[in-house]
Amino acid sequence: MIQVKEVVKSFGNKENINKVLKGISLSIKDGEFVVILGASGSGKSTLLNVISGLERPDSGTVSYDNRDISGLSDKALTEFRKDKVGFIFQQYYLLPNLNVDKNVRMGADLAGNSDYRQVIEAVGLGGKLGKYPSELSGGEQQRVSVARALAKKPEVLFMDEPTGALDEETGRLVLDYISKLHAKYHFTIVMVTHNLNIAEMADTVIRMNSGKIVETYENQMIKTAYEIGW
Amino acid sequence: MVLGLKDIWKLQGIIIISFCAVFVCTLFLNHNIDVVSIENEITSEQVRLLYEAQMMSGKVVCGLCGGCLLATSVVMLFFYIKQYIDSHRKQIGILKAIGYSSFKIAKGFSAFGLCILFGAGGGMLAAYGVMPYFYKVQNEDHILPEYSAHFHPVLPVCLVIAPALLFAGISVLYGCRKLSVPVLELLREKVEKSFKAGKRRQGKELTFLVQLRKNTVWQRKSLVFFIAFAAFCYSAMMQMSFSMEELASIVFSVMIVVIGIVLSCTTLFIAVTSVANANAKSVSMMRVLGYTMKECTGAVLGGYRWIAYVGFAAGTIYQYVLLKFVTIVVFQDVEDVPDFTFDFPAFWIALISFLVLFELLLWWKSIQLGKRSVKKVMGE
Repeated sequence: MIQVKEVVKSFGNKENINKVLKGISLSIKDGEFVVILGASGSGKSTLLNVISGLERPDSGTVSYDNRDISGLSDKALTEFRKDKVGFIFQQYYLLPNLNVDKNVRMGADLAGNSDYRQVIEAVGLGGKLGKYPSELSGGEQQRVSVARALAKKPEVLFMDEPTGALDEETGRLVLDYISKLHAKYHFTIVMVTHNLNIAEMADTVIRMNSGKIVETYENQMIKTAYEIGW
Repeated sequence: MVLGLKDIWKLQGIIIISFCAVFVCTLFLNHNIDVVSIENEITSEQVRLLYEAQMMSGKVVCGLCGGCLLATSVVMLFFYIKQYIDSHRKQIGILKAIGYSSFKIAKGFSAFGLCILFGAGGGMLAAYGVMPYFYKVQNEDHILPEYSAHFHPVLPVCLVIAPALLFAGISVLYGCRKLSVPVLELLREKVEKSFKAGKRRQGKELTFLVQLRKNTVWQRKSLVFFIAFAAFCYSAMMQMSFSMEELASIVFSVMIVVIGIVLSCTTLFIAVTSVANANAKSVSMMRVLGYTMKECTGAVLGGYRWIAYVGFAAGTIYQYVLLKFVTIVVFQDVEDVPDFTFDFPAFWIALISFLVLFELLLWWKSIQLGKRSVKKVMGE
């Protein structure tokens, strides 16, 4: 269980402070699929960075199973990310000089996962192990980044606009792979998006505006990637 | 494309190298020209032999030093122009899209000739500054008739103005060649050239970190050259200066060791900084996933270790063969020239100091990489 309590985060200097998160509190259950929804500048990506341990809050706490990570040292945070979380970003961030196999292995080696090729097969890239990122389409690159994140067997998968750079068909395909893998491995998903339709795939939707949570609701009917609008 | 002084200043490596090259070449060429004037005063055969050996060693030093450093500067210039074009692809693409020709854009690269003007000009001024002392030391043994230093206008023309013009021309031509690509290719994100690892032994699976280390090294061959070259220079020049105690004056030894250290440190610094900058995003992604800084920097910087050590070994062999050649061939007829043997203390001093220097540089760069904000690097 992830618990966020009264998290505040600001950027800038003393003269020009930009308060991005204004006392956020929320909780996420194990195995839950949560979407953080909001317009550009609402603070949703900063919240994801704080929850995932990429950034420290100015005040407030972020706890995983009652262990507060907001005060951890850099070394301890690295260890935490290694053991607990996976990331998928809008821009993929694959290593350009490594092929698909080695990019996925980047995540797998951290978890000592020697069966990582199963995940590559699961995202439909089994035939492209030797291809380099520059030889893949955007959708295929994002599927590599999905496989890389899941190959380290994370307890929580954080996604920041994972379909933001993809067309509809490819976007649906990537989301479909993610939800199938979620059903199989039962990890927790925290996804940031501005797309209201994608929110219909989640168990819980947290809507943000101007650094605050304005609404939290549970979807009564969860849709698949091919049932949602685009 | 208008280049500012800030852009030219980024070529500090070339400025320093041209400074060293012109400093040495000015001293020895000026000396050789002045020594020629006393040729008629030489009467004894033994003195004539020494005169010829001195002339020959001046030519060898100028040829080797000037040639090597010139070649390094050209490689460095190409490397920098390529980097400049890569980092300004979009602006250049837009200029080409609205009708600027490759030549018109590349014309601005002629400003890179200024770095040679600064470096070579500085080197020449410094050489004329130390010249009185250099001549004083050369005259101290009174073997050759006394000679004094004169200014020779041909030297600034050949060593400063001509190289500056040459480099300006080379920059424009190379820039033109690199810019002769379709506009859309420039406007698109640069596609990294894939490095394909060579054939591997069957059944041998490399871990991610090992594979990354290999690929990082071989993807940028120019950096492999720079690191090997820096280690080569350090090793050769440091050991040569110690070993030459009995063959040349102390001025000569000090000059060689200072040039060796400056040249190799500059080249090493530029190369390692380029590696660190080029891999900042990969390191950030690795840190996001949970790799420690030690693992990250070991994978992106660690692969260059053995290249540096191979360069060092090559430098050791080179200086030994060169000095052996000088004593056997150049000084063959001169009396009292001691037999040259491998100088082990010089080797150990050079090796240990190089190890310390190189490891400190890697450590410092990894600290710098670690201090970069992951979020900032990913956003770049």
